[in-house]
Amino acid sequence: MSLVSGPGRGGGGAKHDLPEELALFVDKHVEYIQTLDTRRDELEYWLTEHLRLSGLYWGLTALHLLGHPEALPRAETIAFVISCQHENGGFGAAPGHDAHMLYTVSAIQILATIDALDELDLPGRAGKDKVGSFIANLQDPETGTFAGDEWGETDTRFLYGALNALSLLHLLSLIDLPAAVSHVQSCANFDGGYGVSPGAESHAGQIFTCVGALAIAGRLDLVDTDRLGRWLSERQVEGGGLNGRPEKLEDVCYSWWVLSSLAMIGRLHWIDGKKLEAFILRCQDPEMGGIADRPGDMVDVFHTVFGIAGLSLLKYPGLEEVDPI
Amino acid sequence: MSYSTSPDWADVEPIAQEDGDHPLAAIAYMDDYSEAMSYLRAVMAANEHSERALVLTEDIISMNPAHYTVWLFRAKTLFELGSDLREELTYLNAIALKYQKNYQIWHHRQLIMEKLGDPTGEGKFIAQMFEKDAKNYHVWSYRQWLVRHFSLWDSPTELSDIQSLLLADVRNNSAWNHRFFLIFGRQEQYPSFTPLPETVKRETEYAKTAVYSAPQNPCPWVFLRGILKKTKQPLSTIQSFAAEFAPFERPDEVKSSHALDVLADIFAETEGRKEDAVKVLDLLAQRYDPIRANYWRYKKARLTPIPMATTAAAA
Ligand SMILES: [Zn+2]
Repeated sequence: MSLVSGPGRGGGGAKHDLPEELALFVDKHVEYIQTLDTRRDELEYWLTEHLRLSGLYWGLTALHLLGHPEALPRAETIAFVISCQHENGGFGAAPGHDAHMLYTVSAIQILATIDALDELDLPGRAGKDKVGSFIANLQDPETGTFAGDEWGETDTRFLYGALNALSLLHLLSLIDLPAAVSHVQSCANFDGGYGVSPGAESHAGQIFTCVGALAIAGRLDLVDTDRLGRWLSERQVEGGGLNGRPEKLEDVCYSWWVLSSLAMIGRLHWIDGKKLEAFILRCQDPEMGGIADRPGDMVDVFHTVFGIAGLSLLKYPGLEEVDPI
Repeated sequence: MSYSTSPDWADVEPIAQEDGDHPLAAIAYMDDYSEAMSYLRAVMAANEHSERALVLTEDIISMNPAHYTVWLFRAKTLFELGSDLREELTYLNAIALKYQKNYQIWHHRQLIMEKLGDPTGEGKFIAQMFEKDAKNYHVWSYRQWLVRHFSLWDSPTELSDIQSLLLADVRNNSAWNHRFFLIFGRQEQYPSFTPLPETVKRETEYAKTAVYSAPQNPCPWVFLRGILKKTKQPLSTIQSFAAEFAPFERPDEVKSSHALDVLADIFAETEGRKEDAVKVLDLLAQRYDPIRANYWRYKKARLTPIPMATTAAAA
């Protein structure tokens, strides 16, 4: 899936006046995602190759939520995913790219979405267990956290990804789950949020990964629900959109990180859903499809999927239900 | 330059991207990129750590700094060759300043700094980064790593740098967080660590001054609450301070929803003030923070028992 941005802009650029009562332009978005991979004559297509597998996951998820899972051919999807796999079981972002936690997780998520995890075990392939051990080997036995690759950069994103993929593979037993949980705990801040590492500023994206990890581990009891829920609800700004940190600009992708975290702790009603819905709809390009981070900016697949997933959590009519974890 | 015609690269057979029947379009820049990438694949396949490989990685980074594989290979090569790491930092400075959103570069820098073992000059470079975006999350994470790794907790420049950032923008939550980190971050390694009383006093006064300059700024309020919690002081310590910004009996004069919130929390815990808590929470839900009305109603519902108007009348 290409991560090329544009061609359209959220709000359709200056020349279009959006109607008062906005709807989700389902067909436009399906078409937008379908045509992304035909844009191979653009430089940006190649410059975003290091994200390709995640891009595929985002596009695929958006299509599923929009009720058009058939819009991407299944066999080709599986073939591309498998072509990114290394002998050690891990996946790179595209063929020939180093194996990395993030893309291994995307690969597993894609295969799970299209019910194709068994493809991993076909003769001549590395097999589920090998994928599981690639992930498990990236856990730091001392701190419980996870690295992204052999170079050891750690981030709660990798920890969440590891737990997510291993639970999809039913291989959580391969890791030290209590150690992972206590690392997440160490990233909790006095304001109720979580950061990328102990003491780091609370950030909505990192909160999603920490709460998601605790949800998978069955340890949501460790969350200070009221304080976290309060911090998350404070992300809503006057215009209805959500920001990722205090005193920052609103951005459609936080509709997902903030909302799903609120949903996991049962506090979704602490923000004004109608106002947020209107904000996300204002970020669409009604002509060519796609959703931007905020009105007036270029659309891209990343903000398209997180905008749609946010609307799904808000129970927007006609969308498939999304799992907040 | 073209790799295919360069004598330096004559011995290398480039490895093209397996791309099926979608050939790259013939845009010059794109051709350069795909050619360089095919040579990178070749040197990586051969595990070649050489000066020319370094030059090649620079070329690719200049076209696409977000490519994670190229950074990993570059670090490996620098260490194999025993290259001058100070020189590498100078190179990295320029790239980081140019590509603000890039994060691969920060992990790379951390690897270099770990090997180098001397953070001299990092503060100056970070200040340059903050001139462009004083809330860059990657830079702040890196700065925290420096503090932790080189034990810079009490470094006077850490505090003075934060001071000037907050002077430029008192709403910079990242700077507030770092300030808090400098005081309490050590507890992660040494759980029994407690800051000196004069430090706590200085920091409390600092936050209060910031509230006076912008009462509706959430950052110093959160900071104050954090200090009280960490030093095990009750929230009521700042009751009269909060009341200055939230005379809830005269709603038109309220200057800060955060001050109202502090009062609501104090009243909820104070015998005989539940009714005031209700008043304050109603003000928040209806007038000062209606977008979060459900949250304030939830807090109101948790006041137990909800006081009846008659109770106050009888008293
Ligand atoms: Zn965004």
